[in-house]
Amino acid sequence: MNEAHTLAGAYALNAVDDIERARFRRHLDQCETCALEVAELTETAARMADLTWDEPPPGMKDAVLARIAQTAQARPGRPERAGRARAAGASGWRRWTMTAVAASVLAAAVGGTVYAVQEQRIEREQDRLAQVEAIINAPDASVRSEPIGDTGTVTVIGSRQRDEAVVMLDGLPEPGADRAYELWLGVGDELTSAGVLAADVGDGTAVITGYGEADAIGVSREPAGGSPTGAPTEVVALIAVD
Amino acid sequence: MESQLQGGPVEAGRASVMAEPDALLRAVARGDEAAFARLYDLVAGRVFGLVKRVLRDPAQAEEVTQEVLVEVWRTATRYDPARGSATSWIFTIAHRRAVDRVRSEQASADRTQRLAAESATTPFDHVVEAATARVEQQQVRRCLKTLTELQREALTLAYYGGYTYREVAQLLGAALPTVKTRMRDGLIRLRDCLGVSVG
Repeated sequence: MNEAHTLAGAYALNAVDDIERARFRRHLDQCETCALEVAELTETAARMADLTWDEPPPGMKDAVLARIAQTAQARPGRPERAGRARAAGASGWRRWTMTAVAASVLAAAVGGTVYAVQEQRIEREQDRLAQVEAIINAPDASVRSEPIGDTGTVTVIGSRQRDEAVVMLDGLPEPGADRAYELWLGVGDELTSAGVLAADVGDGTAVITGYGEADAIGVSREPAGGSPTGAPTEVVALIAVD
Repeated sequence: MESQLQGGPVEAGRASVMAEPDALLRAVARGDEAAFARLYDLVAGRVFGLVKRVLRDPAQAEEVTQEVLVEVWRTATRYDPARGSATSWIFTIAHRRAVDRVRSEQASADRTQRLAAESATTPFDHVVEAATARVEQQQVRRCLKTLTELQREALTLAYYGGYTYREVAQLLGAALPTVKTRMRDGLIRLRDCLGVSVG
């Protein structure tokens, strides 16, 4: 049993954080016997719910039946990564959030604050928008959003199939004179720069590539132009992605 | 999964109550609203109870429970019986939603403080109180008692409290690797005691 696999129990109990969960799922993708054990441990953990029975609130059944009567069902067999037995819990949440988030990301992009980074330097505004829209509308797009400080939010909408993600920084504190926010792709324990935003701004939308294998997206505060060392100087957010 | 349980008349009863949700969920996947209503009767009490146990707030628990049940309807098309039972699939969704909610709404420091003020064994005591005489409940209770104290505390804090293993380690004053190991050992022992198998 390798070291990663000691997390099987905590994973089955949902007692891991988002980054650990994403990493552990990647481990499961490569280990069939581990996936079987985890399926059994998850099944076992769920039996603990047998002890929690409580009288549902009156009226809840009618409310739920009324809601499902107006809710379309997901199409079967949506491709998910092999070995991922339990992704369904998050998918509805993701889709619901998607609608709200996509609107704000597009609004920001229309505002002209798109900074295409890495190899994807795109000159024309409508091409930038088309690129953002294509990622948001990708069939496998998923969204993660995290608050930063009192007013800021970092939102990541990524498509593994397209190997791309839109990262939106909204309302972050200004990074300071001659300083800038830099984006990072986290794969395993490695963080690789995914581009630097313009100096002195706390808002921006960037398209990054290399998302296909990412476990996490990081944001750091750096001297203008990016980290002098190739490693993040001051990490302000590390967002796990499924 | 029924085949590995201890034999006897109780067994047949358990097999049928276990098989029904699986068949109902497959019918739900085909858009059968009546099957969903029946499935609701079989699982809503545990979904609500589980979510409420984790959130400790009845109003929020009702809201999250409704979201979970609508999610069950919406994604029933993706339920794969080869990967586990229908009830496990449903409770896993419920647990994940409840835990996501509790972790997003409360700073972990607050929660740690709140729990530190309670006995670490409180969740298990509550469990015993709440349990009725139903067969599965008796079995789960009996099997939880076969665990070591540390295994049981680690499992109940994580599952009923919604804590991460790091928080559990802090609450129990135990080392991280120990807690990780106890969670896995404890679930394996529980699995073997309950006769759970998948596929």
